[in-house]
Amino acid sequence: MPVIEVEHLSKRFGRKILAVDDVSFAVEAGTITGFLGPNGAGKTTTLRMLVDLVRPTAGSVRVLGGRYRELARPATRVGALLDASGFHPGRSGRNALRIVAAAAGIDATRVDAALEMVELTGAARRAVKGYSMGMKQRLALACALLGDPEVLLLDEPANGLDPEGIRWLRGFLRARAAEGRTVLVSSHVLAEVEQTVDDVLIISKGKLLAQGPISRLAAGAAPVVRARSPQAEKLEALLKARGAAVNRLEAALAIRGPGSAEVGEVAHANGLVLHELLTEQPSLEDLFLQIAGTRREQ
Amino acid sequence: MIDLIRAEVLKLRSTRTALGLLIAAIVVSVGPAILVMSLFPRDLLEGEEGAMAAAATGLTLVPVLAVVFGILGMTNEYRHGTITYTYLATPRRLLVIAVKLICYALVGAAVMAITALLVVAVIALVTALRGIGSPSWLDTATVSDAETLRDIGMFLVAVGFMTGFGVGLGALFRAQVPTVAGVLIWALAIENIITAVRPGVGIYLPFTVFMQLNFGPTASTGDGGLQLLSRPEAFLLSLAYIAVVSTAAVYISMRRDVT
Repeated sequence: MPVIEVEHLSKRFGRKILAVDDVSFAVEAGTITGFLGPNGAGKTTTLRMLVDLVRPTAGSVRVLGGRYRELARPATRVGALLDASGFHPGRSGRNALRIVAAAAGIDATRVDAALEMVELTGAARRAVKGYSMGMKQRLALACALLGDPEVLLLDEPANGLDPEGIRWLRGFLRARAAEGRTVLVSSHVLAEVEQTVDDVLIISKGKLLAQGPISRLAAGAAPVVRARSPQAEKLEALLKARGAAVNRLEAALAIRGPGSAEVGEVAHANGLVLHELLTEQPSLEDLFLQIAGTRREQ
Repeated sequence: MIDLIRAEVLKLRSTRTALGLLIAAIVVSVGPAILVMSLFPRDLLEGEEGAMAAAATGLTLVPVLAVVFGILGMTNEYRHGTITYTYLATPRRLLVIAVKLICYALVGAAVMAITALLVVAVIALVTALRGIGSPSWLDTATVSDAETLRDIGMFLVAVGFMTGFGVGLGALFRAQVPTVAGVLIWALAIENIITAVRPGVGIYLPFTVFMQLNFGPTASTGDGGLQLLSRPEAFLLSLAYIAVVSTAAVYISMRRDVT
């Protein structure tokens, strides 16, 4: 049964900006879903509409069967990380959480537990203005976890985290999924969530381009042929003339369209030297570029 | 409701805004009272009016500070982005604004009470030290009579109303600096100019109405001078101003996107 249901959701800011355009999707219970798209794609606006911070222009959203504001003690059912900078700079991290806990009717003992979960106990009594971006991000995550919610909405949780923090976040998300919780996590850095998510939603310019398990999306996507040649520029031109999509970085080529056999034959027929030729399954980033590129052409 | 009040009290205790209001109120009221009572010639301070004037010098500024305090209480939520967490914890925005308005009104009135007590203490101390005749309103019997207690109560109510009015304005306009600047210009200049030029209009303007809760007569007078509102009239009109601003604030806030 879906935990999050979005139907024909649109949001227009003023007359010119259509931030979200007729988006529909569902998120199943106990899954980690990546909400992917470039900056300005409409991810944050969609997440804010899920928790009634932004009013939809059209369409509907349901979380756990109803509107967020209609849930009893909503912060104990749905935890949201939406704004890592949304803390008063003069307040300690612990007090910031105590305030949210008090307002949401959450037991004060959860404050220290949440701080421990995000490894911020040592800095809990320091003013937020002394926190790094990564620490604010962890504090915002602690805020989302305060009510021990069954659904987590995380907007760009890896922002400001160092590589160690990103690795910690991946482990954290996997642990939440293992507990049977539902996580919807947005990101514009695909590598951050690639190893973590079950399903993906791909959004660009307010429109949902694709949704489903990564394996299913990958099955429908063309593999990428990687080639390395001292005459890469010439090979690139030849392949492009045959209709292939080619990205070149000095001697390395990433080719979409022809298979590795065809690439090898083109090189051989034109007397070009190859130092490397292999076929790769597309990464999430490749998938995203392919899907976004296809839609753009349409 | 109780949860929200606890959260609001925690917010007030965990930043310096409320403490800043108290310190500012003491500085603007107790400071001038000390200077006037210490430096003015004795004959100017003798009698009922002299000491009263010293007391009122700075105290009249405290209600203006209370309005600013109310505005800051709401606009700080937007300025620092804490409004996101406030509405996530309590999606019922009407309740959020109502609780904040009540809490800030009580704090504003409490700060006024503390400040007024300190000013009275300064006047009592300096009159005793300089051997000036103590005004009758400092007598214990006078302070505890019903009329004086009602006067004090109305003054505190007026300041509480003004603080709540500030919360409503903050929720309505959201932008901190323009709101504070606009209210100060209106309260300290425009309203005074209108009242001076057209007194009949001026007595109905919001900050003049609030102050008539304290200084207005207990019933409408018609002695040929400026006819002030009676206290019941001022009370009802004050409530109407707060109701209008709060209703508009809630209406706008419920439709406002928190981005």
